[in-house]
Amino acid sequence: MKKVKDMTRQLSGPRRIGFSSTMSKWDIKLSPYLYVSPFFLSFAIFGLFPIVFNIWVALHDWDRRVGQGDFVGLDNFVWVLNQPAFWTSLQNTFSIFVLSLVPQLILALVIATILDQNLRTRTFWRMGVLVPFVVMPVASAMIFSQVFGQFGLVTPLMHELGWFTDVDSPFFHNRFLSHIAIATMIIFRWTGYNALIFLAAMQAVPRDLYEAATIDGAGRARQFFSVTIPSIRPTMIFVVLTMTIGGLQVFDEARVFDGTGSGGTGQGGSDNQWLTTVLYLFNLGFGDWQDRMGQAAAVAWLFAAVIIFFTLLNFFLTRAISTNTSKTTRAARTAAKRQAAAARSDRARSDRATQHSAEIASTEKGRSR
Amino acid sequence: MRFTRRTAALIALVSTTALVTTACSGGSGGDADGDPSTLTVATWVDIPPELLEQFTEETGIEVEVNSFADGASAQTVLRNGLGSNGAGLSDVHLVELDWWTEMMAVPEDWETLPAVDDRWVDWKVTQGSVGDEIKGYGMDIGPLAIAYDSTLMEAAGLPSDPEGFAEFIGGDDASWESFLDAGREFTAASDAAWIDSTSTAFQAAVNQLPAAFEDPDSGDAVALSDNSSVEGLFTMFGDAAEEGVSAGVGIGHADWGAGFQARKWATVITPAWATGIIAENAAGLEGWRIADVFPDGGGNWGGSFFAVPSAGAHTEAAVELADFLTSPEAAVSMFMLNGQFPSQLDAMQDTAVAESPNEFFGGQEVGGIYAGLAESAGDTAAGGFRGVDFAGIQTLVMDGIRRIESGSENTSAAWKSTVVEFDALGLTD
Repeated sequence: MKKVKDMTRQLSGPRRIGFSSTMSKWDIKLSPYLYVSPFFLSFAIFGLFPIVFNIWVALHDWDRRVGQGDFVGLDNFVWVLNQPAFWTSLQNTFSIFVLSLVPQLILALVIATILDQNLRTRTFWRMGVLVPFVVMPVASAMIFSQVFGQFGLVTPLMHELGWFTDVDSPFFHNRFLSHIAIATMIIFRWTGYNALIFLAAMQAVPRDLYEAATIDGAGRARQFFSVTIPSIRPTMIFVVLTMTIGGLQVFDEARVFDGTGSGGTGQGGSDNQWLTTVLYLFNLGFGDWQDRMGQAAAVAWLFAAVIIFFTLLNFFLTRAISTNTSKTTRAARTAAKRQAAAARSDRARSDRATQHSAEIASTEKGRSR
Repeated sequence: MRFTRRTAALIALVSTTALVTTACSGGSGGDADGDPSTLTVATWVDIPPELLEQFTEETGIEVEVNSFADGASAQTVLRNGLGSNGAGLSDVHLVELDWWTEMMAVPEDWETLPAVDDRWVDWKVTQGSVGDEIKGYGMDIGPLAIAYDSTLMEAAGLPSDPEGFAEFIGGDDASWESFLDAGREFTAASDAAWIDSTSTAFQAAVNQLPAAFEDPDSGDAVALSDNSSVEGLFTMFGDAAEEGVSAGVGIGHADWGAGFQARKWATVITPAWATGIIAENAAGLEGWRIADVFPDGGGNWGGSFFAVPSAGAHTEAAVELADFLTSPEAAVSMFMLNGQFPSQLDAMQDTAVAESPNEFFGGQEVGGIYAGLAESAGDTAAGGFRGVDFAGIQTLVMDGIRRIESGSENTSAAWKSTVVEFDALGLTD
């Protein structure tokens, strides 16, 4: 009663908006933007500005030390498109990308499925798959280049089997083999990481789906393909998207593959066998040439266009797939509802019958086992 | 005192502020005017600590060494620093000859140093100058020699002592042709290759040319298809590589160290500064020696300078330090520590340099051998003209040799594809 009285007094009194209430108004309006601003500010400085500035560089002659030279329009782009090395680098990048993506997806799914089971010392195994991810890419690449080198683990074995005996170090010579070697490094590094993302998605799959599948007599493999895979499809799409963006930007592994970058090594091979596009950009802008910053910037833009194209392609694929799935689930849901309603209406009648048939089914199953 | 939340917050604030401000002022080391208390020097070679202590005793200035793992990382830091008005630069920088031209693109970036008469060989001073202005004080030079594995030579039934080996590759009249012919003879008698990489030898030969890829007057690149001197060298080394003279694994390659241990090659082109690197990679192996002759009279690969960036706060004291670090005495102590061969005349003649036995190379007096090689190389050691495109074209052409070494192409095909790649660059349009 007293409360109401207070409230009416306040309403009838003079409207006085204090400083603190102005502040709280601003607080509501402004704070959310303030809270999200650190990301956008740092993105503007370290992301947006370089991207925009890159256009400026790409349109000029640009020396590493002296900086801006003459305005050359689109000459740098024309120059890059006329370089055979640029096209080779695009082919290499996609070859390495595909060679690393497919085995990685399969391996990550298998590992995640195993980790999803009721293992003993579960956390140990789950942390274990992340260990390769902790190793610096350059460090693991240097070790792998020893593995694939002339005196490493793989090459002498191959020579003993009589493969590629005409060359001393096939992995530094054969284009396809060098791609396999680099793809191996990427698989080593990223499989565990992706497996954990898959595992998180798998944990969210309702357990009763598996129970139902078990009751229906589905084996492990059937459950994997008919329950697990459809349920984690959005996550798979996410992983494929991030892998597309990351996988196209291969650099570290290719850079240190045949050496530490002195004495002519580290530039993608004598015949550009494993020259990736980002490595080509690096060689132009930061390698032997002093005045090719503009051309390097042009490569960056052309390659960005390629990545955007593939991301969009993937985006539309994703949307197509995800709308399809939601349609089916909605249809399934309405069907289930209808069924449930029907079941409810004649539950009284069928209750006993259902129970009876279930009993029969379970006893039959027990017998067959 | 009661430790309320507010006092705790106050203490945290004060200490953070103190931390941040000291962190910001830490690098500069004293006031901008007047004598600094500390100078920094950026290098990838070890400087003897007693040398730095001596400098501190004489001047009262401490020297802090910013040490880099290799020349390439020091180069990157320097390149970025010069591009951003001196941010992150040390007071004195060691600059390698191979990227000297790049760093000197804007001569005003560097302090002009006072001339010191009769300290260095003449061509070292010329290399370290832009026009008439001295921009760098020479530290070491890289006279070229050939290191060889006497064990492999002996196993092949060929002369293995230094004198015999020198005669085997052509004696005092040794040329690249006679060196490669000796290689053909060796590979016929041995499973190992003659040289770690012909591309390294090819590079050494290219560096002996007065103007390899560019016209010294205009600085413009010469069309590779018209460059008969480079084509001649390319064919000579390419043919040898085709015949299996080379292992195709040069310095810096992932397989280089393992190749030494597996005794895969008998010779390596060895500038003086590489003796330590070879001793490290071939650690535990007996029998490596250095020959006292070099094809076509001799040459020079690399060598460094101490230079002072103008952006530094204490350039005057920094010049003093550069001067101190390149004195003949300092050069001798650096040779004793790392094996860098001095560019200073007095240091070259110093008995400590000329007569110290080198343990890895079977007690040979390596300093004396390099002194002789530097002398016989004479002024050709100064190297030819290097313009802005030199490094890029050199890599392109050496890649051609590597394609022959790996068996991807034969010599004529490799030259053709190299010319095509060169033409695509559009340097001569």
